[in-house]
Amino acid sequence: MSVLEKVRPAAAKPATAREPRVTDEHGRRIRVWELVLRYLLLLAVLALTVGPFVWQLSTSLKGPTEDIFSSPPKFLPSDPTLHNYERVAETIPVWDYALNSLKVATANVVTNCVGAALAGYALARLRYRGRRAATLAFILAMLVPVEGIIIAQFTTMRELGLNNTLIGVVLPGCIGAMNVLLMRNAFLNLPYEIEEAAYVDGANVWQRFLRIAVPSVKGTLAVVAIFAFMGAWDDFLWPLIVLSDPSKFTLTIGLNYLHGTFANDERLVAAGTIIAVAPLIALFACLQRYFFRGVGEGAVKG
Amino acid sequence: MPVSRRALAAAFAVCVVLPLSACGSGGGDGGTADASGKVEGDITFQTWNLRANFKDYFEGVIADFEKKYPGTDVKWIDQPAEGYADKISADAAGGTLPDVVNVSPDLVAPLAEAGLALDLDKAAGQYKKEYLEGAWASHRIPGTTGTYAFPWYLNTGPLFYNKSLFKEAGLDPDQPPKTYDEVFSAALKMAKETDGKVATLANVPTIEDFGRYGVELMNKEGTAFAFNDAKGVELLTKYKELYDAKALDPQALTATPESSGRKFLTEAVAMNPGSALDLGNFKKQAPNLYKNIGITDQITSTGHVNMYVMGVMVNAQTKRTPAAVAFAHFVTDAERQMSFAKQVAIFPSTAGSLDDPYFTKEDGTDETRVRIAAAKSLKDAVNYTPVLFSEQMKTELRNEVAKALQGKQSPKQALDNAVEACDRLLRQQG
Amino acid sequence: MSSVTPVRRQLPVSPWLFAAPGLLITGAFILYPFVSTLINAFTDRRTLIPGEFVGLANFRELLNDDMFWVGLRNSTLYVVGVVPALVILPLLLALLVQKNIPGITFFRSAFYTPVVASIVVVGLIWVWLLDERGLVNSLLETIGVGRVGFLSDQWLLLLSAMAVTVWKGLGYYMIIYLAALANVPRELHEAAAVDGAGAVRRFLTVTVPAVRSTMVLVGALSSVAAFKVFSEVYLMAGPSGGPAGEDTTLVMLVQRTGTGLTGRVGYASAISVVVFVVTVALMLLVLRADRRDES
Repeated sequence: MSVLEKVRPAAAKPATAREPRVTDEHGRRIRVWELVLRYLLLLAVLALTVGPFVWQLSTSLKGPTEDIFSSPPKFLPSDPTLHNYERVAETIPVWDYALNSLKVATANVVTNCVGAALAGYALARLRYRGRRAATLAFILAMLVPVEGIIIAQFTTMRELGLNNTLIGVVLPGCIGAMNVLLMRNAFLNLPYEIEEAAYVDGANVWQRFLRIAVPSVKGTLAVVAIFAFMGAWDDFLWPLIVLSDPSKFTLTIGLNYLHGTFANDERLVAAGTIIAVAPLIALFACLQRYFFRGVGEGAVKG
Repeated sequence: MPVSRRALAAAFAVCVVLPLSACGSGGGDGGTADASGKVEGDITFQTWNLRANFKDYFEGVIADFEKKYPGTDVKWIDQPAEGYADKISADAAGGTLPDVVNVSPDLVAPLAEAGLALDLDKAAGQYKKEYLEGAWASHRIPGTTGTYAFPWYLNTGPLFYNKSLFKEAGLDPDQPPKTYDEVFSAALKMAKETDGKVATLANVPTIEDFGRYGVELMNKEGTAFAFNDAKGVELLTKYKELYDAKALDPQALTATPESSGRKFLTEAVAMNPGSALDLGNFKKQAPNLYKNIGITDQITSTGHVNMYVMGVMVNAQTKRTPAAVAFAHFVTDAERQMSFAKQVAIFPSTAGSLDDPYFTKEDGTDETRVRIAAAKSLKDAVNYTPVLFSEQMKTELRNEVAKALQGKQSPKQALDNAVEACDRLLRQQG
Repeated sequence: MSSVTPVRRQLPVSPWLFAAPGLLITGAFILYPFVSTLINAFTDRRTLIPGEFVGLANFRELLNDDMFWVGLRNSTLYVVGVVPALVILPLLLALLVQKNIPGITFFRSAFYTPVVASIVVVGLIWVWLLDERGLVNSLLETIGVGRVGFLSDQWLLLLSAMAVTVWKGLGYYMIIYLAALANVPRELHEAAAVDGAGAVRRFLTVTVPAVRSTMVLVGALSSVAAFKVFSEVYLMAGPSGGPAGEDTTLVMLVQRTGTGLTGRVGYASAISVVVFVVTVALMLLVLRADRRDES
């Protein structure tokens, strides 16, 4: 990690008007007013981005006697309870669905990271006839409006005998065109000199790819990973169409059962929402440090 | 890469081997329309969003069926609420439709026209007399000769209104409107008294509203729409008046059933159509509103209320026709429907069931009162929405109605346009 | 890109081995099905009834279909309204969270939540917030602006949907920018700082040039996504596309005409083809502008 928090705990203590010694990534001190401004901005954006979810969280914690449609709306639950979450688990086999989603999402992350890195490298770094055509194929694929091809995709899947399987769910998106282009962009931004040294040392293309290029684009790989995970985790229509067997359903489909045929229980739906979002936020929190890695880091090792 | 090698090989196979027309319908290897053979074999039964709440009920039904017919095995799958039409479309196009499928009339029509739904007049005509006449007829499709699904559960309901809003506007909370004229004048008064803050209606008129108002929706042969007659124009003109006075919610043009239900729950709208099911819902979601809820009969000018019908169809291509027909009948027979009706506030479509004490004996609660009133009205209720009225037609009507309400065109012009557009879509379907 | 080509010593097959998995998947599951859309566009195929070849009839019908022009207008407006915001705001946001100050991990994750939440939920929440009696309107009323019909006026509806798209896209493009910013050599900033350049000038002279290719990428991605917008408008304006359908976008029209058991697959495919052609043109436009900037 090249960028570390450099907070000196001692600096916070003196109650004098001295500036706290919080420094930026260049080791320079950040002035107090700048810091205050930063936090104010951060808080403003925070209110805008998570406010709506806090509302959902609050609804999901409201007990059965509380009016969730009162006007003006009440923000805090008067008697918070986790009962709605228990009820979700009683109504649908939420853990089975979550496991299926996890399988699909993990497979999607692996295939996308590997496939997109390989293809992106080929598009950015390798010289061969047809490179422009290959790039074009990915660009065109990104532009195809998917709404119109879903039934054709399903028929293809059926011909392959992969309908009603989790593989069938993963396959169409397992190497997303956009991810390939993101990786291509990342490799293009790598200075050539880094690989040149290895080339002089006699490393072949696979070695250069694995040992030098890939470690240098970890940030973008993390981006691809989270996009891939998210895409698979949130997708609704495609898994619904491919799968028929409820035991194979993914979480998004399963949570849709909470929208009752006969009556909607908003608290239950809200609890379902939180269950669906929580793992993604956790994943992001785990991966986010990779987005801040520098470019030179991998190259040094190579 | 857990998926890779096999997947790649498969993908390669697709690119090379499959002809471009691969997305054709799966026809050809179908079964027979003869349901008279031995009831045996494996069949699949698909319901629409019923598993979460009625798992035990359906598992019981299936166990009973398998016991009654040894050698059968029913696999039950349930689809969630959203995307049901998309799922069925993909299955129908791909030839993977289950043997027995829970459908609504608008889904049956195109499936029947494509030859994917079994004609039950032929295959199961002997059961016809077990069902209410109107319910059996609701899966008949103009332009074809057959009936393509067993009727299953029915639903209808009263009109709910907010007593405290009525009181505030100087309306008598114990004398709710009973006719269209009374609804309209109450709505105008409400809007005037509250300065346009409280609307009485939250939805623009739909095809079923025109039907209930007494408009002839289609010609006798079922080949063209006719809701642009004087009566239709009258209703739309009335709605325009309401819209201008804000007695019809300004957001009605973009409302969905969910959003207008929510408006009623937040007390922004004074009336909302509903069913016996909503009572429990109000109690849970908006206890304050529940105390002030008033219940009145569904408004109709024809003497017949509107009902919603669910059906169970048999895939015409099933390889197990006898078992599939037997099971579809089994699920929808009087005994099974009655016990389902006791689980949730819906109504059986079998003849005589509505005379059961469960649907006739008061016990003093609101739930029972609503149930008894609904059951009584269902005996001669009508499913006004024509089975041929597709989603696309609904949108056309809705958008033309909206233009009339906004004053962009006259009500007459709007309905003429809607009829023309729907007729064109009808010709393209047929 | 480079005058040196340090790549001679490669096996001739390896580029194709690298690209093969990606090409196969995209070919088999995206491009190949799209070929059938291209073919369908010239037929009167319906969901359950295989159609016949009708030549250009679908495209002729499009020209006379008012809804098609409404859709084209709205999808185009969407690009114009959304893309500039999505190119600039996420970059500023990325700069805001780039510095490691205490608690920043929390903020970074929080800013990403709108991206991971399902669009259906997001739609429901915003419809509720922007409702005639929602939170936003009660705030506007207390500060004396009065209620605004966000969800009943066709233009305000479109604008609200755009706002939601931007809101949901902020975190998404923010992390693309973060990955790019991590690649900006630190020395550049330091040199500029030593020269006494202020924050704004450093942003314009150091940051922007350094992430230019990413800005182009984000511009391309967001304009394609904006032109193909569906969910936000569908959820906020309703399935019929706002009052009298005036908020319908092209992809909504594809969905409306082409899906379901009565879908007109042929006609919807023709609209899909138009969408495809326009996005290709958009892409070319962005890349062209990029090249001109460079020279």
